Amino acid sequence: MSGLPPMYPSEKPEHPYLSISMPGKYFNSYFSLFCAGCGYGIIGHLFNRVFEDEKLDPKLYPMVIGIGCYSQILLSLHHATQRILALHGRAPGLATGMKMANPKMKPIIFSGDGDCLGIGGNHFMHICRRNLDCIIFIFNNSIYAMTGGQGAPTTLFGAMSTTTPYKMFENRIDGIKLALTAGATYVARTTVAHPRTLMKYFKKALKHKGTSVIEVITPCVTYFGRKNLDNLGAENLDIKGQKMENTGIMIDWIKRNSIRINQAKFMTEEELLNKYIIGEFKIDPNKPEYSEEYAKIKKIAMEGK
Amino acid sequence: MSIENNKRFLPEGKYVMMGNVAMSEGALAAGLEFFGGYPITPSTEVIEHLAKRMPEVGGVCMQMEDELASINAIMGASLVGAKSMTATSGPGFSLMVETISMAACLEIPFVFCDVQRNGPGTGFVTEPHHNDLGLMRFAGNGEFGVIALAPMNCQELFDLTITAFNFAETYRCPVFIISDAYLGHIHEAIYIPPKEEIMKKVIPRELPNNFENKFTYIDPTTNKYITPKAPIMGTDYVPIMFIHQPHNPNGMSSRRLALPFTQMLIDKIKLNMDKISLTEEYKLEDAEIVIISYGLPVRTSYRAVDIARKEGIKVGIFRLITVWPFPDEKVKKVVKDAKAVIVPELNYTGIIAEQVERVTKLETPIIRIPKVCDFHHPNDILEKIREVVK
Repeated sequence: MSGLPPMYPSEKPEHPYLSISMPGKYFNSYFSLFCAGCGYGIIGHLFNRVFEDEKLDPKLYPMVIGIGCYSQILLSLHHATQRILALHGRAPGLATGMKMANPKMKPIIFSGDGDCLGIGGNHFMHICRRNLDCIIFIFNNSIYAMTGGQGAPTTLFGAMSTTTPYKMFENRIDGIKLALTAGATYVARTTVAHPRTLMKYFKKALKHKGTSVIEVITPCVTYFGRKNLDNLGAENLDIKGQKMENTGIMIDWIKRNSIRINQAKFMTEEELLNKYIIGEFKIDPNKPEYSEEYAKIKKIAMEGK
Repeated sequence: MSIENNKRFLPEGKYVMMGNVAMSEGALAAGLEFFGGYPITPSTEVIEHLAKRMPEVGGVCMQMEDELASINAIMGASLVGAKSMTATSGPGFSLMVETISMAACLEIPFVFCDVQRNGPGTGFVTEPHHNDLGLMRFAGNGEFGVIALAPMNCQELFDLTITAFNFAETYRCPVFIISDAYLGHIHEAIYIPPKEEIMKKVIPRELPNNFENKFTYIDPTTNKYITPKAPIMGTDYVPIMFIHQPHNPNGMSSRRLALPFTQMLIDKIKLNMDKISLTEEYKLEDAEIVIISYGLPVRTSYRAVDIARKEGIKVGIFRLITVWPFPDEKVKKVVKDAKAVIVPELNYTGIIAEQVERVTKLETPIIRIPKVCDFHHPNDILEKIREVVK
């Protein structure tokens, strides 16, 4: 075997979406700082595709990015996007200010499970309550991966992590249920194993007026997969598991572990422990949107009634 | 000013106003477009007043879910080009410091009114205590320069709020207004100048005329630090990304930039001390005893000085309007030949007295007059003056 890298024919057709990402635009190649097997590369690419296909105006869709592994998506997003790195968990607060000061905007918030449901749970709840026109992506890899694999509020029951070395014994939080209770008007969950659904939901959220919450289940091979078996969530079925040491096994596990919403209706609580229900949970275009309501208040105040 | 509205400016004339309301009106006159806040006792009137006034002038006043969200919201609003501010008290301030540090890093301008109350902990919520001054100077992790202005009456709460907004626009650093529970709740007569006069003073938020080499920190002709206009999201005038790490003007971060970046954050204030540092002198020409103070204790000191002068004691007042950055050079000059320096403050430690000690000769005694949850009586200060003379 020679040590040469694989050779390509010189007339290699260019990837249709290569030049829209920032590295593609400036360095003519696609690279990211994510680990091998990470799902954020897929998400970044899908985002760029939708951004390009829908011909979104970058000035009207500012990106607000929280703190987590996915923060590195800053470097691989669409080259034209205007992006800001928010503080850990405070992205919804920042987006509220942007939207209210310039109501034409529709902020797109990238946040993770620890960012959005852990430290920023309060802000997430209240942005949903106000029904502020924005899109919130929650990237759920069920672990604090950037700091090295600590247990998160979304870590599955019985899973191993560096701060739960015996097993996870806390109950996990369900971001979708929280969003529904708080009053978000477009709520959906999908996984990186269902990329077309993710694009579909994103496009729907762009057209929706109100808070859209899309939770995306992504694999973290480095810190979650390597420590856990792929029978996680199915221990009672007496299946012998294997370590989720590569993306293939992990994506398979995500696929097996995701239940469509129609199917979940017929399953018991116990059966749904450690499972991800995927699909669209709520579409409510009629609920009043916060910035529009505030505009009405302004009108009343200006006319002096 | 992007939002033009007749209701923004009160008609010219004299009014009787509460301190917090005067401060809010000052902010409105300076072009406030977004207020985010959370009710906390001595500062509650600010959000109450602005909740009514902001929609009238086409702005936004939001009661957020907590202080963390309110300061992040005003930062977001400032990013898209709205002049913004928040008002809070000690415990709320403690929650906000994280974001102040981020705003200083990204150089996002906003004004922060701290209506101080007693502490630590919850403390007595309606009593004054100038105990947040240290927190203001060192708010948040990291090193950066801040500006803090200390008004002493309702008229100044109105005027200095406009100045604070101008400083925020010019130097793009956190600008604090040092108020306290008494000053915020005092009712006093204030004069509001006509609209045209205010408009002349206000520096508006707008895009610069020239976008070329848009974010340079060094002026190529004079080789000095300059602070470009704040970027506005939703326009072409933005860096590649907003990232709160040491970054170059275009928003790309690098470890090598850490030193020059920190230097820039501090030097942009230090090198403009002559413009930022506002002070006042009262009967200081031949004074042997110098009173150095800021905020409410200055008003008491005027009375004490007048009485002492009648007794033939040579005493004068040096008043700090800009408390941070501390005017080292000016104070040095004032205390050079002083027999003693008296620093009446509404706290026990003497946060400013410590700063004065830093620039005074070792022989010069620095006499603190601490008060907590209370006013100084002129006699408190007179007593100390007489003691020194003896």
